[in-house]
Amino acid sequence: MGRNLGTAALLFVAMVLQVTVLNRLGFAVVPDLVLLLVIALAAARGAAAGAVIGFLTGLAADVLPPADHVLGQYGLVMCLIGYVAGRGAVRAPMLTVMTCAVCAPALAVGVGALLGDPGVDWGAFEAVWPGTALCNLVVAPFLVWGVNALFRVPRRPRKKALVLGGRRP
Amino acid sequence: MKDSRRGRVVVGALLAAALVLITVDHRSGDTPVLGPIRSFAAATFGTAEQATASVIEPVGRFVRALAGASSAQQRIAQLSAENAKLRKELIAQRLDKRRAAELDGMLGLAGRGGYQVVPAQVIARRSAPGFEDAVEIDAGSRDGVRKEMTVLNEDGLIGRVVQVTSGTATVVLLSDPASSAGARLEGGNELGVVSGLGEGGNRGRFIKFRLLDSTAPLTVGSRIVSFGSVQGVPYVAGVPVGTIERVEATPGELTRTAYARTFADLTALDVVGVVVRGPSRDPRDSVLPAAPAKPAKPDQPTGQARPNEQDGRSTPNEQARPSTPNEQTGPASPNELTGPASPNERTGPAAPNDRTGPSGPNERARQDEQPDERA
Repeated sequence: MGRNLGTAALLFVAMVLQVTVLNRLGFAVVPDLVLLLVIALAAARGAAAGAVIGFLTGLAADVLPPADHVLGQYGLVMCLIGYVAGRGAVRAPMLTVMTCAVCAPALAVGVGALLGDPGVDWGAFEAVWPGTALCNLVVAPFLVWGVNALFRVPRRPRKKALVLGGRRP
Repeated sequence: MKDSRRGRVVVGALLAAALVLITVDHRSGDTPVLGPIRSFAAATFGTAEQATASVIEPVGRFVRALAGASSAQQRIAQLSAENAKLRKELIAQRLDKRRAAELDGMLGLAGRGGYQVVPAQVIARRSAPGFEDAVEIDAGSRDGVRKEMTVLNEDGLIGRVVQVTSGTATVVLLSDPASSAGARLEGGNELGVVSGLGEGGNRGRFIKFRLLDSTAPLTVGSRIVSFGSVQGVPYVAGVPVGTIERVEATPGELTRTAYARTFADLTALDVVGVVVRGPSRDPRDSVLPAAPAKPAKPDQPTGQARPNEQDGRSTPNEQARPSTPNEQTGPASPNELTGPASPNERTGPAAPNDRTGPSGPNERARQDEQPDERA
């Protein structure tokens, strides 16, 4: 319970910081802190928990004040990302996190395009995605490390994963 | 496996929920259900965002400053370079203005005396102490400067040209110990010789004046003008030289010695003029600055309070005063002083006459006609 509350608080802070600080620094590209946090949490806590965390976080991100897209868009994206990260992290945590961090922005743009979000087209994708992906790649390891240190959960699953991986072959 | 299955179920349900939400929201904007959710979220997050922003704002500004540091650095460098350039220009302008004023004054003096001058600027100065006082000017034979020409500036006599190259000339200053020039007391025909004192002359501020007639009156405050040499070489007539500051008692000697302060500051020369052609007539005293302009030398007292002792001999000639001052420079000059100058029949600007009118006060009228004195 405490862990869930901590997670919620962490995500809330991350969302607020993302829109008030990071996005206003004036840099061309900034890492998507919330997305990375979801990935890191999902990697730490498994697929089901990751999906729930992603869904709820996405919903919160959808209603976060400067928002003008349909409700549930980010919920969908983050739910999927959380699930995939949680599943993949069982085998290869870091690789999964990296892949998700790179693919998630593309997925978000793709969903936005599917939903007919105005202003989302191939040109916007080309302009936004490489920078954001690179930024996410750079920041992701630190966030994963921070989340693991904060919740101290990952030790167990990771050890388990290693043991499992050892047994399976 | 079980965990993975549960996860699949969960994610399927959640994705379905998301799709439902998207559909509902997409189709019907602010529904009674979703509207309150949105406004509640907006209130919650908005408050948090406001609070964070108020705390973070200075940090953001700092980070922006950091992000813009390189361009700011560049701008600072650019601005300081521009600043330095402007400051340099300003100084140069000030310098130019001062030089222009000096040039103006020098040309004015030349105009009063009817000298035809070539302006020049001092570019170098010999400073071996005690040996010679000479400066280099940036006018040479190209500009018509020849050896043995008079050099003056806006205040008075400077010296004479001794060496000329095509672009520069060497001028030996009046304060050079080896230089001497004929000079005449203002307002009279008393002749003397000024010579430099070198270092002994208080670094060029003083020159020695030897009056040839030891009985002639010589008082502190009287002014000296150049006497002029034959054909105006090396010195033209009428250039202000200096003011007597100290008279030495030399009883029994053939000459009387006095020390004079030069009008021109020989230690700080900038714009000078080389007289390439002297006046057709001796300008006499007309080139001297107006009396009030030189507070160091009370001219009125010299002329009027002391006629008894100083100009005792000239008092009989006071009848000359009624005659207009203008005329008397004219007739007087050919007599003795500009004798050498007038035969030249130079057709140079004969300005002195009209200038003498306004500028020549009556004290000059008092004493000029004295052929006997010279004789």
